[in-house]
Amino acid sequence: MNRHFTEMNTRLYMWWSRLAAMTVKELLQLGRDGFLMFAIFFLFTIDIVMTGNVRLELNHATVVVHDADHSEASRELIYRFRPPYFKLGGEILDSRQGIRLLDQGKALVVLDIPEDFQKSLLNGEHTDVQVLVDSSNTVLGSLAASYSSQIIGQYGFDAALKRMGVNEKDLENVPMLVDQHRVWYNPNQNDQWFIPISELLVVITILAIMLPAAAVVREKEHGTIEQLMVSPLSPIQILLPKIISMTMVILLGTAVSLFLVILPLFHIPIKGSLLLFFSVTGLYAIATSGLGLFISTMSRNLAQAALLAILVLMPMIFLSGAWTPPEAMPAGLRQAMYFSPLYYFIEMSYGILLKGAGLRVLWDSLLNLTLLGGVIFAIGLWRFRRQFK
Amino acid sequence: MKLIRVQAIMHKEWREILRDRLFLTLAFVVPASLMLVFGYGISLDVENLPFAVLDQDRSAMSRDYLHRFIDSRYFDYQGDVRSVREIDSLLADSDIRFAIIIPPKFQENLLSGRPVAAQSLIDGVFPFRASTSKGYVIAINAAFNGELLAGYISRRLGVNLEQGMNMVQPVGVQLRYLYNQEVKSTWSIATALIMFVLMIIPPFLTALGVVREKENGSIYNIYASTVSRGEFLVGKLTPYVGIAIINMLILWLMVVFLFRAPFKGDPLFFFVASVIYVICTTGIGLLVSLIVRTQVAAMLMTVVVTIVPSVLYSGLLVPIASMAPQGQFEAHLFPAMYYTDIALGSFLKGIGLEQLWGRVLALSIYAAVLWTLGYLLFHKRPRS
Repeated sequence: MNRHFTEMNTRLYMWWSRLAAMTVKELLQLGRDGFLMFAIFFLFTIDIVMTGNVRLELNHATVVVHDADHSEASRELIYRFRPPYFKLGGEILDSRQGIRLLDQGKALVVLDIPEDFQKSLLNGEHTDVQVLVDSSNTVLGSLAASYSSQIIGQYGFDAALKRMGVNEKDLENVPMLVDQHRVWYNPNQNDQWFIPISELLVVITILAIMLPAAAVVREKEHGTIEQLMVSPLSPIQILLPKIISMTMVILLGTAVSLFLVILPLFHIPIKGSLLLFFSVTGLYAIATSGLGLFISTMSRNLAQAALLAILVLMPMIFLSGAWTPPEAMPAGLRQAMYFSPLYYFIEMSYGILLKGAGLRVLWDSLLNLTLLGGVIFAIGLWRFRRQFK
Repeated sequence: MKLIRVQAIMHKEWREILRDRLFLTLAFVVPASLMLVFGYGISLDVENLPFAVLDQDRSAMSRDYLHRFIDSRYFDYQGDVRSVREIDSLLADSDIRFAIIIPPKFQENLLSGRPVAAQSLIDGVFPFRASTSKGYVIAINAAFNGELLAGYISRRLGVNLEQGMNMVQPVGVQLRYLYNQEVKSTWSIATALIMFVLMIIPPFLTALGVVREKENGSIYNIYASTVSRGEFLVGKLTPYVGIAIINMLILWLMVVFLFRAPFKGDPLFFFVASVIYVICTTGIGLLVSLIVRTQVAAMLMTVVVTIVPSVLYSGLLVPIASMAPQGQFEAHLFPAMYYTDIALGSFLKGIGLEQLWGRVLALSIYAAVLWTLGYLLFHKRPRS
């Protein structure tokens, strides 16, 4: 009995020490490829810094004006198109010149104020202001249209009150709706609190799929996998060290990125538990490495693996809400989105980091990620083991 | 440079590509599927925003007000909640993106001529989505307000409702969208996707194709042969440029016939500009392949130099014009931006060489620099 027990102990020890030795081997192999390390470092640091300059907001969009009225009223309206959203790009003589400026991309909005603008306002007649918007970029076009309508609407409202001689005090006795909107979690809608984190999550995804896939295919291409197969290692012992070492690299990179780049540079107030965030990241990295394994079993060389990885990665990144709002997706693809582990990872990461959500709120997303990851990983493992038969 | 040697290398490379069936298939399937998935999938038209309502009044007027949100295609009504705390956890779990709170005595106050507050709480995590949602909410509130005030004025001054409306909102807005009249983001995005796909696929194919020879050692055959480095590079890369050009034509057809984006410009101009762009992106792959030694490193370096800039610095999703000055500067360093302008100009705006020559020149310079660097960095007697 005792002997049996010692034997089992030795076996267990052997199992773990082989796993550890293989993990060290994988880490060494990664560490010795200088350019690879540089690329990983770049993705976690400089790349994230650069995304801090990206804005998805209307920022000093140029407005040119065709003012046919030249009155006090028209000047007041024009003056309301000001930074940060708009800036005035000068006056033009006719609308054809305006279209030319739009063609050349020198202006985004042409504001056309009709003759007798002020006269109509004073007489209480309806008058229309024309707004031309360059919508070849949808983001800018729709934001510019929305903000200009708001500005003009507010101006009309103010002008109406002035004409009727209503002052601020009288407003307390008028039945009207006072718009009180509050934006939570990111009150100033600062893009720097959003885009760098999104980019970090994307980088984690890219590495979690590409690194394990490459690690396996490389051995296949070089033929070293034959050596491993004749060694006393089981398929799991070949595979796990690759995943463990890649996950370690990813977690380390995430820590560097978060503590040395994102927090000091962009002053994001972290509301939730960092321990929870890193645990989720680790879980996610392991889960998605299953996709990498799956790819590696289908390809014989890295060129094939790289193309397959892109085929899997790009839709996953784009359709999970990293760069575009998931609400903007067509219905069919929104269903597909629920099968993307990245979707849950994004919701949870923002939930933890910006919203301060804990497990009590996020348990369902976590459960989904775990189930989905378990299935993906199991399929990857099954395909991997099958190769050895 | 002897043509016959270039031809021989080209022939060998082409054979190798043809024989790797999976690789060959993927080289055409991946670009087309990226276009397909993204063309339908990427959209910035924010619709179906999930929201919840806390109605503390439960009157006819509050219901009338709320139905403006519930019936709108921009919103997706998720139900009523009982307390602000419930809203809290729904927002934190991303089950809803905004909530509307109607205060008690909403109807009573309005009927007795007092202003009321309509509160909305918006999830600000994704700033673009927050701005868009805010815009929708403000617009609905303004419309409701206009009707309220018009009714009030018509009662006070004894005019009819339409006159009251004119008095409250004397200035109308006539919006006209140029180039993309229905503001379909599909058109702009599908067009810009040509840039995106051609930025990613050719560098990957090229970088991995060259580094594979380095890693496998088959490049020593070249080192030991009489082939000059210029001949080798031209012969080796021409098939990849060819694949990229075929892909470009496929993508072009997809944008025109599948996504029905209008092509208003000059096809010949667009074709020539695209070929220059493809030569340029192939050059990026070449440069990567000469710097790194292993295929894994080549793969990740290509990710670094292509995917990131082509998503964020190309004008695909993020308009360059609205970036911080430093971001704009960085965008000008990458070739993607110039080609986005060319593609959007050729498709939607119908402008040509006259307005876009600067962009074409920038791409040509870029291509020339990349290939010259590639030529200088490639040695037949590598150190190490």
